[in-house]
Amino acid sequence: MEPGNSEKAIAEMRKIDNVVKISVVAGEFDIVVRVQVNSLDKLLKVTDKIQMIKGINKTTTQIIEKEITS
Amino acid sequence: MKIRIRKRYLFYVLAFASSIIVAFNSGLDVFTQRDIPNPWALGIACFILAVIISFLITLILSIKYKDKTLGARTVDPSFRGIKLISKKELAPHLLAGLGNAMLTIGYFFLLDIMSGDVSVVLPFSQIVILYLVIIESFNEKNAPTLIEIQSAVIVTFGAILGSIGLQGRIDPLALAIVFLVINPGWVLISIYQRKLKMMKIKDKQNDAINIRLWNATFACLFTLIIVFAYDIINGSNNIIEGLNSTIKYYYWVAIIAVFTFFSFVFYIRALGIGKASVTQAVKASVIIFSIPVSIVLGYIGLADPFTTDPVLLLIKIMGIVLIMLGIISFALTLTKAYIFIKKKPGVSIEKIMNDLWKIKGVDRVTAVAGDYDFIIKIRTRTLVKGYERILTKIEEVPGIKEYKWQSVLKEWEDI
Repeated sequence: MEPGNSEKAIAEMRKIDNVVKISVVAGEFDIVVRVQVNSLDKLLKVTDKIQMIKGINKTTTQIIEKEITS
Repeated sequence: MKIRIRKRYLFYVLAFASSIIVAFNSGLDVFTQRDIPNPWALGIACFILAVIISFLITLILSIKYKDKTLGARTVDPSFRGIKLISKKELAPHLLAGLGNAMLTIGYFFLLDIMSGDVSVVLPFSQIVILYLVIIESFNEKNAPTLIEIQSAVIVTFGAILGSIGLQGRIDPLALAIVFLVINPGWVLISIYQRKLKMMKIKDKQNDAINIRLWNATFACLFTLIIVFAYDIINGSNNIIEGLNSTIKYYYWVAIIAVFTFFSFVFYIRALGIGKASVTQAVKASVIIFSIPVSIVLGYIGLADPFTTDPVLLLIKIMGIVLIMLGIISFALTLTKAYIFIKKKPGVSIEKIMNDLWKIKGVDRVTAVAGDYDFIIKIRTRTLVKGYERILTKIEEVPGIKEYKWQSVLKEWEDI
């Protein structure tokens, strides 16, 4: 993220379909976004929309292969 | 806008909304008790109308508008319309329904043997928070942290002080009912409704509206069976009286049933976010919200005037301060973090996942394809020592190459 744009960027991200969770974090990254889609095509659309938001410099995508949760 | 509210706030908004409705309902209860003085008949009327009203509201909420049901748009985003329960839901529903029936019958039996004055005995039902803490401590992954035990004890004692009366008496049988019937009833309701809310049905999150509808139905069934047995043993006629009261005084009871429905839906949604003990502790705020209701009822002459006894007022203020302190410490001590992990080659992914999952405080373990191999989510209330312990445990997992801790500052979630 470019400094000073995070509030606006989060507001934009909250409008995107298929985004189920947004976490603002402290560390190497600034924001972790969880996306739920049923095809890679839709994932591409979401990452595209996120990258179009002003203030976002770089994104990295991790695809979930397996998950354990309560 | 898609995601409307921050996750941490949502839990408290839901739990407080549920408490405010319960406090408001306690005011309406005065009217129903005036019309239906027999507590058993009142219990039956409440449940029969709860089923009818829950069914009607669920049907209305099932109406679709632009691809989404009204229920999903207003009260629970997971709601996709009225549905029958699936096979795996049956056992938790039976237990939660039994819990609800136990709680209600226990409460009405208490009213019966204490001739209506339950002001000294009933506050001990708040100890259910501690029952839940003890039950959670049996499950190592869910075991309460020191801060959770401390806050739960503070809220419980506050709730007892905040709601106790000085006039009533303590009766061993009445206390036994509170500790052995009412509190276990609440435990069954909260544990199993939470289980139901966390369940995925056909890969989709279960919804609070259907859970409430079926809980009311099963609870009504169990209540009718128990009161019928009681009638046969004692030669009383409570079932018939209950049915007559349902027909004759449906209006007040139906209004209460509408509010109870939404109060439970919000409570069940809150249970889906927080631990059962924490949800129950936040719900103890009902004692604070009941005070304006009691003052209004006293003022218009429908109940005893609100106490002016300085000793009782002091006790109540102390209780309220404790409840607020406990809830605030629950709210402010919850910390979340993501840990991004890379593994060494030649070690099984599944094995590492299971090892990570065993660590207390780990809420989710995800194996990913990308720069990292795993992302784990930490969700815990703990002191600095606790974080140290989590990191030490992660380092002990064989096959971990490097990890990055990212503390969560704010979070939004569509739930």
